[in-house]
Amino acid sequence: MSISIEIQLILLAWGTLVGLDLVSVPQMMIARPIVAGPIAGAILGDVATGLQLGVLFELFQYDILPVGAVRYPEYGPATIAAVSAAHAATGTLGLGLGAVVGLITAIAGGASLQAVRRLNTRAVHRAAAALEAGDPRVLERLHVAGILRDAARAALVTAIGLTLAQLARGSLVGTVSFRGVVLLNVAAVGAALAAGTAGTLRLVGRGPGLRWFAAGLVGGAAVAWLR
Amino acid sequence: MRAAAPARPPLARSLLRLFTVQGSWNYERMQGIGMGVAEQPLIRDLSGNGSAYRAAVARAAHFFNAHPYLCGLAVGATARAEHDGVPPEQVERLRTALCGPLGALGDRLVWAGWLPVTSGLALIGVALGLRLRAVIGFLIVYNIGHVALRWWALRAGWTYGGRVATALREPVLQRATTLSAPAMALVMGAALPLVAQYFTGGFIGWTRAALAAVAAGGFALLWWQRARLTGLRFGLVLLALAALGGWLWR
Repeated sequence: MSISIEIQLILLAWGTLVGLDLVSVPQMMIARPIVAGPIAGAILGDVATGLQLGVLFELFQYDILPVGAVRYPEYGPATIAAVSAAHAATGTLGLGLGAVVGLITAIAGGASLQAVRRLNTRAVHRAAAALEAGDPRVLERLHVAGILRDAARAALVTAIGLTLAQLARGSLVGTVSFRGVVLLNVAAVGAALAAGTAGTLRLVGRGPGLRWFAAGLVGGAAVAWLR
Repeated sequence: MRAAAPARPPLARSLLRLFTVQGSWNYERMQGIGMGVAEQPLIRDLSGNGSAYRAAVARAAHFFNAHPYLCGLAVGATARAEHDGVPPEQVERLRTALCGPLGALGDRLVWAGWLPVTSGLALIGVALGLRLRAVIGFLIVYNIGHVALRWWALRAGWTYGGRVATALREPVLQRATTLSAPAMALVMGAALPLVAQYFTGGFIGWTRAALAAVAAGGFALLWWQRARLTGLRFGLVLLALAALGGWLWR
């Protein structure tokens, strides 16, 4: 299934906004996969696939805690690329394919964040004298340039992801056997559940929170069983 | 230089700029540039033929690193301190002293509390069939807390000035910090089995058993090797193995 250039451009714009939201502006959490994925799905007219991949990458997201200057993969634009790749194959068949594209894009996104931070550092270093003199115009220029750099970075990462999705659709769909597709899906969902559980437990720790976690687990399992 | 604090400070303009506080994040000053930009509207009326203003802008753009949602507390407090004529060295010390507490508080309250609680509820909603309504609900509820926290931080900083530590001891904040960890644990605990069920609907027969084995084995491996292995690396290796398996087992 091919995606029109108009839809690709809308996905690119959405990916840019999502990438900007992660760190720069305004951190309202559209960068979370649970938001980025379903909206990408809605753009493609396939909300179900967007929701599935949104939930899948949200689980991967729990594996990281974005504190201080810690390095982490970027799952927002990655989820959009994953939804674009998975849209080719309906239902759960696209999960594995989407996960492959998404995880690779997440690595590119994480690396690009470091590159932009290094560029910002160089710019700040060059303007050190003006900053120490308290020049408000230089300060504002540096800040706006930083935001524009991040927007360009987010657009580039999304473009890489969408290109990967296009390549994956072209080369893999129809050539991977049914068993291969099933194995990819099992690997994608299994890894996401494992990463989400391990990340959550690291956050909960060994203190009293563990009892609350256990209570939640029992409650959630009971609801799942009763449904 | 001292200049009477305005009765109606342009807090809204400063708040809008605070939404971009990390836009120029860098390894030298971290959030410093964004902090300077956010503080500008509050110190623009400092007297002294512009020299006091420029000196205050230079101080405002120095190194700073804290939780982005709570940066407003430092912006408000230092801007008020500049108006109150607090000596420059003391303003610098105030900024430095706020980095650690604001970072730790924000991480506990937001990254390890409010965010996983609300996103966990969104996961539960999606798993229970609420689809896009769960996602929109997450965005609305999360951002009510987000914007309220940013606004409170900026106002409290401006109100307390150099005595800003008092704001951090407010009962509501203490209570929210205490409740956030158990709430996060409870919600995330409930979300995981429901999400597992949401996904297993697409698997039948032996694939369900395989999925359970991969998830359990993967969890054990990630927990045991948590210093070295990330979820992303594990996922990629597993997908590569699955692709190889699929190619061999046609």
